[in-house]
Parts: sequence; C-alpha cells; structure tokens
Amino acid sequence: MSSIKRRIFLCLVGLLAGLAAWPAAEITLLFQAGFPSYLVFSVFLGTIFGVVIGAFFGSGDGIIMSHRRSIITGVVKGMAIGAVGGAAGFFIGQAVLFLTGEYLIHSMRRFNTVGMPVSRAIGWAVLGLFAGMIDGVRSRSWRKVRVGIIGGISGGFLGGLALEYFRIAFPGTVFARLLGLLVFGLFIGLCYGFVEVRLSYGVLTLLNGRFKGREFLINQKKLGIGALQKNDIMLEGYHDISDSHALIRVKKDDVFISPVEKGRVLVNDDPVEEHLLKYEDVIKIGSAKLLYQYK
Amino acid sequence: MKTGKLLIVSAALMALLSSRAGARAESVRISQIDPSMLLFRQDVKVYVSVTGRDGAPVKNIGKEKFSVFESADGTNFTRIPEIGDFRTMANYEEGINFLLLIDNSGSMYLDMKQRLTRDRSAMKFSHAKAAIVTFLKSMTNPKDRVGLASYNSYYQSFSDPVADRATIEGLLARIPEPVGDEGHTEIYASLSRAVDEFRSVKGRKAILILSDGENRPYYRYAGKPHRDFGTKIYSFEEPVRECQEEGISVFAINFGRGGGRRDVHLKDIALQTGGAVFDAGDGSELVRVYSRIVGQILNEYLITYDATMEPADKKYVKIRYAAGSGPVEAVRFYFSSTVFGLPLKEFGIWLLAPLILAALLLWLLSLIRFEKKKGDATIEVINPGSTRAVTRAFKLNKGQTIIGASKGADMTIMSGVTRIREKHATITFDGRKKKYTIAGDGDFKVNNKRVKTRVLESGDVINVGGATIVFDDGEVD
Repeated sequence: MSSIKRRIFLCLVGLLAGLAAWPAAEITLLFQAGFPSYLVFSVFLGTIFGVVIGAFFGSGDGIIMSHRRSIITGVVKGMAIGAVGGAAGFFIGQAVLFLTGEYLIHSMRRFNTVGMPVSRAIGWAVLGLFAGMIDGVRSRSWRKVRVGIIGGISGGFLGGLALEYFRIAFPGTVFARLLGLLVFGLFIGLCYGFVEVRLSYGVLTLLNGRFKGREFLINQKKLGIGALQKNDIMLEGYHDISDSHALIRVKKDDVFISPVEKGRVLVNDDPVEEHLLKYEDVIKIGSAKLLYQYK
Repeated sequence: MKTGKLLIVSAALMALLSSRAGARAESVRISQIDPSMLLFRQDVKVYVSVTGRDGAPVKNIGKEKFSVFESADGTNFTRIPEIGDFRTMANYEEGINFLLLIDNSGSMYLDMKQRLTRDRSAMKFSHAKAAIVTFLKSMTNPKDRVGLASYNSYYQSFSDPVADRATIEGLLARIPEPVGDEGHTEIYASLSRAVDEFRSVKGRKAILILSDGENRPYYRYAGKPHRDFGTKIYSFEEPVRECQEEGISVFAINFGRGGGRRDVHLKDIALQTGGAVFDAGDGSELVRVYSRIVGQILNEYLITYDATMEPADKKYVKIRYAAGSGPVEAVRFYFSSTVFGLPLKEFGIWLLAPLILAALLLWLLSLIRFEKKKGDATIEVINPGSTRAVTRAFKLNKGQTIIGASKGADMTIMSGVTRIREKHATITFDGRKKKYTIAGDGDFKVNNKRVKTRVLESGDVINVGGATIVFDDGEVD
C-alpha cells in the first residue's frame, strides 16, 4: 500500500473505531446509576472503550499486509492492550475532569459554553493519550507510541470540544458523542498516517512484484525481514526468501541491514554483510527489491 | 440550558425561602464541598456551619440533627441513607481568604454625623480605613489572605487575595475619591461582582463589606444605563444566592448614622450567608470581627457521605438541619460529570447498528488484497529530485523507449542543474528473450551504479539527472 493509501486507510480505521466505540460507550453509560462507584464505572467503561479502539487499530497492519493471521493476532493483542490502556486512560481522564470541572464550575461565569467544553476536552485528551498509545505498545514501537500520543491528545481534545459544542448547537441531539468519537478516532488515524513517516528512521518501499508500492516504516530499533509471519517485514509471494532472511537495526539514527544466517542480501547489486543504508539504496532480498528512503 | 438555569434558580430560591423562614432563627450554611475523593473513595465532604439568631455559631450539634440529600436536577432530592463520617472541624490551619469591599461613595467623605468636613481624619472613609487596619492587625494566621476592592457607582478591584497585609494597607491609601457620576452606591451589584472575582479562589472565603448607606443603583437615580450593569437593577437576593452557591459568608461593618441610613437588606445578606453585622461606632466590636469569623470556622461540622451514581453534570447537595424552630436547609453543588457525559435518555436497539456496521466494514476491508495485478512493463518516476519529470509513468509497450530531455522522448525529464541529453538512455525490448535492456551515451545509474548498458530486472532503479525511475516488468511472481 502506498503512503497516501496507507494514510487514507488509517483514517478510515480511526473513523470505524470511533463508530464502533460509540454504541459500546452509550450502552455502558445507560447503566451508570447501577455501578457501585465512579471508580468501578470508569475502569469498566474505559476497558470497553479501549478494547474496541485496540481491536480496530490492531487489525490495521494485518489488513495492510492482507494477512489474515496478522489481523487476528493484531485484533487480540490490540484488545488486551486496549483494555489496560482504556481503563488507565479513562480513570486518569476522569480524575483530571473532576479536578478541572470542579475548579471551573465555581470560578467561571460562562461555564456551560466555555468551562464545560474545556474540562471535557481535557478529560478526553488524557483518555486519548492512553488510547493513542495502544497500537504503539502492541507493535512494540516507541515511535508509534509517541505518534499515537500526539494523535490521541489532539483528537481527544478536539473530540471533547466537538461533543460539547455540537450539543450546545443542537440541544437534544443523540449524535453529539458519536461526532466526538469520530473526531477522536480520525485524529489518531491521521497522526499514525501523517506523522509516523516523519518520525520514522526511514521507509522501505517494495519496487516489484505482487505488493509493489507497499511501504514499511522503520520505526523501531530492530526489524526482521523474512517469509514468515513473525517478521516485522513479511515478504509474502516472492522467491528465494528464507523464513528469517535479514535484519534491520537502528544504531544512533543510522540504519543498518545485515543477512540472517544463510540469507543473501544485495545492496546496489553487491552482496553485503552489515551495510549502513544510504538514501535510495536498492536492496535485493530473494526476488524482492526494496528502496530505502527517508523523509 | 434555560431549563438548567431555571432549576438552579428555583433550587436556590427554595433554599433561600427556607432559610428566610428561619432568617431570624437558626440558619445552616454549606461553606465548602470537597469532592476530591469522589473517584477514589466515592465520598464527598461537606463543611457545614450553623448560626443562631444572633449570627453566632451553634456548637455541639449531634449527627442525628443533620440529613443529607443529593439531586441530579436540583429539584428531586434523594436522601442519603447514612452519614459516613461526622466531626466538628478545627481546620483553621489552611487559612481564610478575605475580600475587603470598601464603600467609596460620596457620603463616605462626610463625617460620622453626615456633615461636610475638610478634616480628613473626621471623614467616614478614614474611619473605614482605620477599621480595616484594625482588622488586618487582628489577623493571627499567616496563611490568611486578603484582597481589596471598592465600590460606589462602579466596582473597582485593587488586589486579589494576598498574604502580605502591608500591600493591602498601601493600596488602601491609594483609593481615589469619587468624582463626577461615581457618587452612587451599588451595594448589591458590587457584592455580586465581588463574588464573581472570588469564585476562582479555593478554600474558605469571606467578604467584609464596609458600608455607610443604602443601595442606590445608578440607573434608578442617574436615569441612564450603567456602564457595566446597563439597565439592570440588582436585588439583594442575587448576591445572597451567589454567596450561598459559593459558600462565601458576608460580614458587614455599618458606618450608617444610628442605623438611619443603613441598608435594610445588608443584615439579611449577612445572616443568610452565615455572616454578621457590626456597628462601626462600637470599637470593641470591630476588634472582634476577625475572631468572630475564625470562631465560626472552628465550629464548622464536617459531614462525609457516599455519593450517588445518578448521572449528572453537577450534583446538588442539600443539608437539612433540624433546628428548634423547624428544619432549615442549605444547598450547594459539585461537579460530577463523567468523561463521556450524560447517557442518552432512552435505549434503542438501533444503537447496536453502528457497532455491527463498523465491524462489517472492517471485515470488508480485510477482504481487500492490496495487491498489484499482472500488467504491462512500466517505468515510473517515484522521486523527481531536482529535475522536472514531464512524464510520470510510461508503459513500455514499444520496441524502444527513449528517456531524454526532448519533448519527443517517451519519458521527458528536464533539469537545470544536470545536462540531460535529448536521447539520454534507451530501453530496448528483446521479444525473443523477453528482456529489457537500458543503454545510452548519457550519464545514468542503475541501482546506484553508473552503467552504459544493462539488462534490467524488475524493481531496478534508474537514476537520470537526479530523477529516480523504477523499472517494473509487470510480472507479479
């Protein structure tokens, strides 16, 4: 998948995550009065929310690679990490909301039009901070965690504001929270798509074959390349690629490629052992050719 | 939102009416609500003071005399079955925030007998300043903070609450005499404005107002709209309601002559907010103002209860005290909204539709194979670099494909930096061997190696004058 398609796809996944999280949140909210405490309620609602967000974003990598097993493991891992992240995010977001709300409700005359939206937005931003981290933790990429945090905070803040102002503009509407959650999901997706390329150590683009145009971001210190699913860069449908063929390592912002075991790696048509990648180096692994670039 | 405001007003009025009923008897006041442990322990702390008919705190009240209620709308209250913790307070350590509100109308520059005088020391304003200095000197807790404001036709703030008493004394000396249309006395509006300024201050709050006359609204007496308040004329109930909402008690020092000119409602404001009125003529009373306020706080009751889970953006807490003359009540609210806000009014099965729709769309997305299908061989510029790539992609469906600077080339690439020949390189297709070969006199690279001729493999990268061109034979296996 090309960079543009990847961005659009991630935005779409974000919107779908928001769409799916809405009914999950609404149904839980209906039973608020039945919960024994705000603590239990916050943890429960946060868990439900995180599970949905984690599942949708967790499926992203697998869908991009058109690999069903990756989708399933991504969804399961995303749900598990999402449950923890959502619970923590909602709990801390609620604590921050209580703090800011209680302060502003007694100190601001325009509380309903300014204080409440700002309090809500801050609470959502904290929730977003944690929700945005989920997919980065799942893929063990601290850069993606950072990117997710940016998306989560901005999406959360704007989502919270959108919810309140939509409710003020259209009193009685039942879709205010849906709008907020769509903005929330969209921003996380947008940030994954737009910022992760800039924060990555570089991009490997497949130049030929069935998956020509697919981009692999180098956003972690170590990436395995090979035919098996366990690899971070799985080259499916190419010839002469071993299960674990090559390894990308990042050392002090320099990116190196080296073969694993009996794997043969060519860079600019020359076989290499450990090679410092330079801009527009052409890597050949089996029948697959990849171009190294950074932005 | 209008309904919300209406509810707040009606709740406040109810509280007001109930407290008015006992205005001359005992009154109860919620001086502070602390919901900081709501999320962690589900409890809310309410600081309550009860004052007798003379404004003095009522001591040694038992837990059984109090009932706690909560409401999500300010109207329908639910009784909390049990008060958790109950104790009398002695939490004076955190200090009190005072706002000194001094009357700066024209009449304050007369003497105590309402006569014109040139002797500044005989003016009521000088007496008021002396009263404030006495008050400042009587303050014993270094954590107390004092702010300063004045009022006449207009409200003017001089300082937010600060710990340094000398600052306030300095500012006091710099309050200017009223000129022009500043001589009116907007007591209620100014009190309301003072509450506004005091909202953001946390902790216990008290306003000390020094006044020599009755409320004389600018609009009513000047006949033209007020600069800040327009045509609005404040009633005394407004600052009372606002003070009750914010837990601010008002203590008044009266400079009126023998009560003749004193404001009829200043005492109501003081008593209904849990404060008291002092007479400026009685020097011994002035010395007692501070100890009176502190005494009231030392006799507060701390009630802790488990909050309800009813969804609401703010919850109203009502404390009912079973006074001898009948129950008296006080209402305040705290913030209780959750991150996602209030639930929908009703559950519809249609709510499940978006969840199903989103899952369905995701499943459909997962079915899409983002794969390239077998097609024609192509060359495609993926990074033009410093050049201008006139042709972005070109199908190699001819025997020969020319890459060059001329418009006649199949792939035209122009550069102002590097010299690109008109026929820089040619890709030739050998139909028998099904091989593509690049050759040319121009300077070009394949996979970052300078070559003159080379058989191309799918995925090879050709660099011409800085432009990155990818060759693809169109095969997928």
